[in-house]
Amino acid sequence: MAYAIEVAGLRKSYGSVQAVRNVGFTVRSGEVVALLGPNGAGKTTTLEILEGFRDRDGGFAEVLGLDPGDRSSGRELRERTGLVLQDLAVEPYLTVRETIARAAGYYLAPRTTAEVIDLVGLDGQERRKVRALSGGQKRRLDLALGLIGDPELLFLDEPTTGFDPAARRDAWQVIRHLSNEGATILLTTHNLEEAQALADRVVVLSSGTVVADGTPDAVGGRDAARASISFALPDGYGPQDLPVPARVGDGTVVVETSNATRALLELTQWADRNGVVLAALTVDRPSLEDAYLNLTSQGTQAGAPGRTTR
Amino acid sequence: MMTAVTASPARPRRRPRSFGLLVHQIRYEQLLFWRNPQSAIFTFVFPVVFITVIGALLGGGNRSSYFGGLSALQYYVPTIAGLSVLGSCYGQLTVALALRRQYGILKRVRATPLPAWAYFAGLLAHCVLVSFIDVALIGAVGRLYGVPLPSNWFAVAVTLLVAAACFGGIGVAAASVIRNADAAPAVAQLVLFPLLFISGTYMPIHSQMLNRVAGWLPVRPFNEALMGPLVLHAGPDWKHLAVVAAWGCAGMVVGGWRFRWTPGTE
Repeated sequence: MAYAIEVAGLRKSYGSVQAVRNVGFTVRSGEVVALLGPNGAGKTTTLEILEGFRDRDGGFAEVLGLDPGDRSSGRELRERTGLVLQDLAVEPYLTVRETIARAAGYYLAPRTTAEVIDLVGLDGQERRKVRALSGGQKRRLDLALGLIGDPELLFLDEPTTGFDPAARRDAWQVIRHLSNEGATILLTTHNLEEAQALADRVVVLSSGTVVADGTPDAVGGRDAARASISFALPDGYGPQDLPVPARVGDGTVVVETSNATRALLELTQWADRNGVVLAALTVDRPSLEDAYLNLTSQGTQAGAPGRTTR
Repeated sequence: MMTAVTASPARPRRRPRSFGLLVHQIRYEQLLFWRNPQSAIFTFVFPVVFITVIGALLGGGNRSSYFGGLSALQYYVPTIAGLSVLGSCYGQLTVALALRRQYGILKRVRATPLPAWAYFAGLLAHCVLVSFIDVALIGAVGRLYGVPLPSNWFAVAVTLLVAAACFGGIGVAAASVIRNADAAPAVAQLVLFPLLFISGTYMPIHSQMLNRVAGWLPVRPFNEALMGPLVLHAGPDWKHLAVVAAWGCAGMVVGGWRFRWTPGTE
C-alpha cells in the first residue's frame, strides 16, 4: 500500500448546505498534489476532514493508513503530519526561536530548531517577538511549525498567499526540497503557476465534487486541446483569402486547430507565395488557468466529471 | 521525481514521555504568562491594590460581630485572596482560552501531537502557581495591617491546590460554553460578580436564606475554606473544600465534553 492519502465518496454537509458531495482521490507516498477549486468548492472542508479537525458525514478517508476521524489514533496522525493552514495562529509574546522550540517539544522525533529556522529563511530573526514579525515572516514561521515534527505528510493551505514573488520562489524551493527528501505534500492554492511549478498532479474540485484529476500538463484535456495560432492580418487580405478557417477581430487573425503543425505549414506557405509576413505570430495552448476556469465554470454539471489520467 | 516511501513510519519513535512533556508545557505556559505584561498586572496588582485600599479605609480594626467575630482585615484577607484566585483561575482563564480559540492559537496547538491532558495540565499548574503568589502577596499586605501570617502552611497549600485546580476547571468549562471571545469578559464577569456579592466577598452577608443558597455555590464554601487556614490557624476545611471540588469536577466534565479547539461556530 503506497497511498499516503486515500479518499472515496467523501460527504459533508453543514445544515442544508452540501459542502462536500462526493470527493474521491488518492495521493501516493512522496507525491506532491495540488487541490484546486474556487472558494466554496469544498477544498477546506476536505482538508479539515483529512487533518482530523472535522468529522465526515460519510465516505472513506485514510491518511497514512489511519482513519482521520478516529480520535484514538489522532495523536499518532498529528505526530506524522505537518500543517500549514490559513487560520492557525501563534502566541504573540514568544520569540521565533521559543515558538519553534515549544512546538519541537511536542514531537517524539523533531527536526532541530536551528535546521528549521534555516530551512524557512528566518535566520537572524530568532530573537524577535512573533508580534513584531511582518506578514511574510509570520507565514515563514507557520511553515517552520509545519516542518518541525519532520512530517511524512504535509498539508499546505495556500502556503504562499501574501508572499512577494521572491519569497514565493524561496518557499517553492523549500517545498521541492521536502519533496525530494521523500515527504508527501497535499497543498491548496489559488495560484495556478504555483500548482504548475510544484505539483506532480492536480485535483480540481468544484461544487463539492472532483471535476478533474491529472498532471498539470494534461488536466482538463490540456494536452489534447486545440491550439490557437494568431497573427496580424496582412494588409489587403481578408479572412476568406487564408488557406485555413479563421476568425478575425481587430486586425488579428485567430486560427483554432487540433493540428497546429499542419495549419502553420499551410499558413507559412501561403504567406511565402503571396510575399507577405505573418507579423506577431504566436502559437498558444490553453494554460492551466484556462483549463481550470473551463473546468470550474461547468462545475454544476457534476454528473460527468471530465476526468483525465496521466 | 522522488522515491516512494512506504506508509509505515521510517524513523524510530520513542515512547511518549509524559513527565517531560508536562514540564515542557508548564514551562512554556509560564513563559507566555510572564511575557504578557497585561495579564501579569491584572493578576497581581489588582488584588494587592484592593486589599491595600480596604486596609487604608478600615484599618486593622477591632473584632466585631458584623465580621463574625473577626477584625475587618481578618475578614478581608481571605475573601480578597479568594477573589484573586477566582480572578486569575476562572476569570482570566476563561477569557484567555476564548481568545486563543478565536485567533486560531488553540487550533495550532491541536495540530501538534500534544495530548489534550498535557495542555490542560499546563493551564491548571499555572492556576495553582499564580494563586500561591496572589495569596502570598495579599497575606503580606494583611501583615502590614496587623493580620498575623498563617501558621498552618499545609492547610493553606491544600486549600489553594484544590481551589485553583477546581476554578481552573470551571474556567475551562466556561470557555467551552462561551463561543464568542468578544463576549467572554462580560459573560465571565456577569456570572462572577453577583456570586461574589452573595458569597460575602465584598461584605459579610447576614441573611440566612442567602447564606444557605450561596453555601451550595462554589464561592462561599471557598471563602469559608480559606478563612480557617489563613487567619484562624486552622487545618484544612474538608467539608467546604468538598463543595468546591464537586463544582470543579462538574466543570472539568463539562469542559471535557464541550471544549472546542477550532474557531467558528461549527
